[in-house]
Amino acid sequence: MPRERGDLFKDLMDGVFLMNEELAVKAAKEVVEAGYDVYDAINHGLVAGMNKAGILYEKEEYFVPELLICSDAMYAGLEILRPHIKTDSASEKHKAVIGVMEGDTHDIGKNLVKIMMDAAGFEMYDLGRNVPLANFVEKAKEVNAELICMSTLMTTTMDGMASVIEMLKEEGIRNSFKVMIGGGPISQGFARRIGADGYADNATNAVDLAKKLLANSGLKQGRTE
Amino acid sequence: MNATIPADTQTSLERVVSYLKGEKPQRVACFPLILNHAARVLGVPIGKYNRDGKTMGKAHVAAFRRYGNDLILIFSTTSTLAEAMGTKMAFFDEDAPQIAEPFIKERSDLSKLRIPVFSKDGRLPVYMEATEIAIEEVGSEVCVSTVFAGPLTTAAALYPVDQLTRDLIKNKAWVHELMEICTQAGLMFVDEILKRKSLPILVEPIGSASLISPTHFKEFVAPYLKRISDHVHKTGGGLPAVLHICGKTTPNWKAMLEAEFDIWSLDNVDLGQAKASVGHRVALVGNVTPANLLKNTPEEIDAEAREICQKMGDLRGFILGSGCEVPINTPPENIDALITSARKYGRFDS
Repeated sequence: MPRERGDLFKDLMDGVFLMNEELAVKAAKEVVEAGYDVYDAINHGLVAGMNKAGILYEKEEYFVPELLICSDAMYAGLEILRPHIKTDSASEKHKAVIGVMEGDTHDIGKNLVKIMMDAAGFEMYDLGRNVPLANFVEKAKEVNAELICMSTLMTTTMDGMASVIEMLKEEGIRNSFKVMIGGGPISQGFARRIGADGYADNATNAVDLAKKLLANSGLKQGRTE
Repeated sequence: MNATIPADTQTSLERVVSYLKGEKPQRVACFPLILNHAARVLGVPIGKYNRDGKTMGKAHVAAFRRYGNDLILIFSTTSTLAEAMGTKMAFFDEDAPQIAEPFIKERSDLSKLRIPVFSKDGRLPVYMEATEIAIEEVGSEVCVSTVFAGPLTTAAALYPVDQLTRDLIKNKAWVHELMEICTQAGLMFVDEILKRKSLPILVEPIGSASLISPTHFKEFVAPYLKRISDHVHKTGGGLPAVLHICGKTTPNWKAMLEAEFDIWSLDNVDLGQAKASVGHRVALVGNVTPANLLKNTPEEIDAEAREICQKMGDLRGFILGSGCEVPINTPPENIDALITSARKYGRFDS
């Protein structure tokens, strides 16, 4: 007899937010064996766990190490569950391109934003770090993204964000994307000055910002959980 | 306006010594954390500044002559100690070096890690030569310091930081082993700096609350930092132990007290709150926003500095500064504005 859905979903959630990867992996395998809805298991189990971790992060009970280990458990569970997602439930995700500016190799902040946006149901295209500026534009066009997310820790590379926005304008496609930025030296004022659509000061706020920008965007509507 | 600002009657060095003696200086000292920006003052590429001790030393002398900052900070990157222990750096003409390849790729590599030889490994000789030049040329006028990374920051430059942070939870004993070696290297760095009559300043950005919790700070940072502050107190001939941590630190203040440093240089915090919370234990340096130094006008810098000075009440135990490194391309007039604001709003003699 397989265990109840609710039990397994709770193990998925606990496995993620209590940093117990083994628990999450075991529960994910049981979900597949029992034939339960994998999409529900991801959302009510793994993602719910990551959201709980995000709340603890905002309350300054979790910090970067905890969030990274929670995400390891989430991704380990996803690896088992994802191949079993029915395609119709997997479609319609918001797409976002993310990366660290050219000249900068600090990527912990970007990685956290990517993790939390992944968990929030965005389809993330991660360009990595030290990303040539034109790549943000090219990738966003190629995958038909709605969001471009840029990060930097350095004052020497922050102006690259303005350059990317200029490139979008020059190509006449500025209004096809929402641009959000973040990182150590970045501020709301800087975002306003360079014409970005928004600034977030941490990974959980970045998710809220992304949702808000798309809700008001008039860009194509999709689904985020 | 300038006519109303009294001229400085103390040299930079006298001003800082006033603090150390517990006497009131004529005005608040000002530490814009000029690091790589010094190369701009001398008009040399950042890449040359970072690889040539003579250039680095001369650049800081030139910056002091230009600005009259009350502290010289000999510095290249927070990875310099790790670099001397085997981490490979990438160098750029117009930016500070960055980590290209950490020395430790898997945990077993720890057995190969050695404390560096200061006379030859990495760019440690560059630091030493730069320190000697600054001391020789302007050491009688201004406090010269040499900046080195704390043990956790060195560890994070030896081993990928995302792995290191995970191992704070998953492989604690291994991290402590790594921290022990990084601490010993740091203690030797202190000796080399003191030998050259410079003030050692420890930077531990990886201990920021932007990254790690108070619990981890207490377990992995404070005990090692305390060994270094003890060493400075024991061998520094009365010099204070100085700690800089960038980013957000507020949640970690209590844990940071356990490291027993005398002066904290803080970045993205409410400095008035810091004074109320830890001002009875430490002197505070800060904290004009670095990106504002780069992007704002001198008038805006003046307003920001004035607000900080007002928050600091009686100004005792307070040094006006930048929250973190003065950005390389900061307009000189903004650094002037910061130092002028110390003359305007940081008066003890009015």
